[in-house]
Amino acid sequence: MYIHATACISPQPTFNGDFFSTGAVINSGTHYMALEPDYMGSIPLGQVRRMGRSVRMATGAAMPLLQQFQVDGIILGTTDGGMGDCHRFLDQIMEYAEGTLTPTNFVQGAPGAPAGGLALMTRNSGYNNTHSNKGLSFENALIDAQLLLHEGVVRQLLVGCVEEISDAQFNIERVAGYVKESAGPAADLLGSRTPGTVNGEGAAMFILNAEPTGAYARVKDVATYSGDSMADLSLLIKEFITRNGLETTDVDVLLSGLNGDVRTDGLYEAGSQAMPDASVIPYKTLFGESPSASGFACWYAAQAIAGHRAPIGPITPAWPDPLRHVLVHNHFQGHQHGLILLSSVA
Amino acid sequence: MEENALKAELKQHIIKYLNLLEMKPEDIADDEPLFGPNIGLDSIDALELTVLLEREYGIKITDPAEGRKVLVDVNTMAAYILAQQASA
Amino acid sequence: MSKVVVTGMGVVSAIGIGVPANLQRLRAAQSGIRLPEHVGTRYAEHMMMGEVEASDADLFAQLNLADTHGITRTELLAFMAFREAVAQAGLTDTQISASDTALISATTVGGMVQAQALYDDAHAISNATEFAASYRSGAHTLRLAQGYRMRGYTDTINTACSSSANAIMIGARLLKAGRARRVIVGGTDSLSKYTVNGFNALQILSDVPTRPFSADRKGLSLGEGAAYLVLEREDDLSERKALACVSGYANRCDAYHPSSMSPEAIGVIGAMTGALQVAGLAPSDIDHVNTHGTGTQNNDYTELFGLEQVLGTVPPFFSTKSYTGHTLAAAGAVEAVFSILSILHGEVWPSLHFTSPIEGLHHSPNTQMLAGLDIRHVMSNSFGFGGNCSSVIYSKL
Repeated sequence: MYIHATACISPQPTFNGDFFSTGAVINSGTHYMALEPDYMGSIPLGQVRRMGRSVRMATGAAMPLLQQFQVDGIILGTTDGGMGDCHRFLDQIMEYAEGTLTPTNFVQGAPGAPAGGLALMTRNSGYNNTHSNKGLSFENALIDAQLLLHEGVVRQLLVGCVEEISDAQFNIERVAGYVKESAGPAADLLGSRTPGTVNGEGAAMFILNAEPTGAYARVKDVATYSGDSMADLSLLIKEFITRNGLETTDVDVLLSGLNGDVRTDGLYEAGSQAMPDASVIPYKTLFGESPSASGFACWYAAQAIAGHRAPIGPITPAWPDPLRHVLVHNHFQGHQHGLILLSSVA
Repeated sequence: MEENALKAELKQHIIKYLNLLEMKPEDIADDEPLFGPNIGLDSIDALELTVLLEREYGIKITDPAEGRKVLVDVNTMAAYILAQQASA
Repeated sequence: MSKVVVTGMGVVSAIGIGVPANLQRLRAAQSGIRLPEHVGTRYAEHMMMGEVEASDADLFAQLNLADTHGITRTELLAFMAFREAVAQAGLTDTQISASDTALISATTVGGMVQAQALYDDAHAISNATEFAASYRSGAHTLRLAQGYRMRGYTDTINTACSSSANAIMIGARLLKAGRARRVIVGGTDSLSKYTVNGFNALQILSDVPTRPFSADRKGLSLGEGAAYLVLEREDDLSERKALACVSGYANRCDAYHPSSMSPEAIGVIGAMTGALQVAGLAPSDIDHVNTHGTGTQNNDYTELFGLEQVLGTVPPFFSTKSYTGHTLAAAGAVEAVFSILSILHGEVWPSLHFTSPIEGLHHSPNTQMLAGLDIRHVMSNSFGFGGNCSSVIYSKL
């Protein structure tokens, strides 16, 4: 499965490419908001007006790709996409004591709304699916795509993820102890030694097909693990590498989902222990934590493999050359682990 | 309320409820079809408008057929509101 | 290639807890749509719904779960159906927790059924309620997986009303690609203040029990329920017998409007045609259709129009939503169970509350109790918001 185009709206200037010229933004605090482009022009005004934030970001990232590439299906992963609208609807229910309510928030709050909206705007009548499986949503979307491409029933797909930070969902994460009470600059996140992390949001979109020619990078394999056993994880990582015909020394970068949560960052050592020679590069200092954070990691890896590197800085270390294989290891709240192996096409 | 003032107010509400970005009240002619090509509302917007009428003017439209007659343009909406207020 | 077969099923709905109870009510042509007792909404006073006849306390008592902290009704329903399915399939604990056993579930409301707790946590009123980690769609899947010590692949689909049909398709594809040894697929949804108000705001709720495919249909009746199927490859079975096979499936997007379908039934026709292609069947091979049949003006017209276009002469069809109400994400899986029962017993049950046929179309739903039939292939449709159209074909082995 090969990545032929990407687009990313995130807390970094990833949409317009400034990430690779002027460099990374060092966010501070407990939520890294997305740098949204001006949508006027790329999304019809009549559509933008009723869009919730996640539908807007997903559309803003995906539309230019869909205008350029014909796809036979649209598959997204999202867990918190639409939560803002869900809660606006819930607030209406409570405020008006279940009286007459406006339906837009209800419709826009559905996780399937971004994928449905994209199909609507591009009149795409192909396969359409939305995976909403907390920390595995993006991996689920990739595997869905892999299965379809493998069957030969589709030629090309749009696959992506979208997450939004809403006050409501942020509060829920905070009272449940998953977000830090306060946080300084991103550069200090991983050394914080406190529980909780910081939230991020955005949309990462990919055009995928089975053709190597002209691709940014290859998505060689995807695996998931539910649990928190270091022993199981180490075994899984080693088997994952081996079943792809590689030695652990073939992995040049371990793109690691370290997020500064002292309770669960230790689990990432399973990767660094299995691959002691790989450079460990974190990505949540750039993108924050979200249920689909691995989608942003995938974008970061694909760009790096294709030769696009951000200027070196406190949260953008150097990538090694040659860059043959990158392993993304992401987990969400310690229980859901995703492994994505990306390789160069050369 | 006086008719012109009502129409002006109605346009503000319509813009707010339907989040008609970049539109100002003066962009909506009194007789511009709400579901026509320029303003381009759809069936979900129609539901939003019925909520607008209830929340802002206390008027409940329960019959879809009646709704279709009322929700044509600002003129018809204003006339309906005034008629309901007169008979209340 | 080995067929994908169903080796176990479990269901809980307004017409009963367990497959035998549901079958009995289908045979008795008895609807489960009535005034609900357990859902906390003021609409419960006058709006009839397909509520499972059990309170949360009843369900807790029947399940005997080790950890009950933060468990929502959505999860309770899921556990009930899951337990039945794996028991029928004869799966051991070791098999369920094998790393090649996958779980693909679906829900729309998830833990949001706990509306007050959700509101309180969202506004950070006080300390986290016990449900703070239960709201998201994927929470119930994780809970099922943890409850059964499952280590394999998990996935949760949320495409509104077609969710569990999509889950079933992914399960079938995982098996065909050799990426799992067995997959438990299905979905769950509970009646909730959130969804009742959502559908009410869209003005598609009927104030009388839903009348699918009737000229004077007034909308849908909400329902709740859960259903799971155990899918395996026929070649892996050795002695155990399977119930039916999943022979065809397709997912297409209507791409017309966020919450209604195109007059040309693009998505509907695409999904049904696609399912026939995967199954390698001709339209005339379909003996029975378990429709999406929600009872809304838009769905029933579009679906029947689509059926006539694709199948020509439409075989006996009905809507089980006239029995259970619309179980949202669970619908695809609940209706899979009913489709398979139809095959196993050679029966087609009457569509309830039918009054008179839709003008402009040429078929009416089946209103007879039909038995002794050779039902070889059943088509089951599920259509969701966002134009998501899914069709699955179940076949006799």
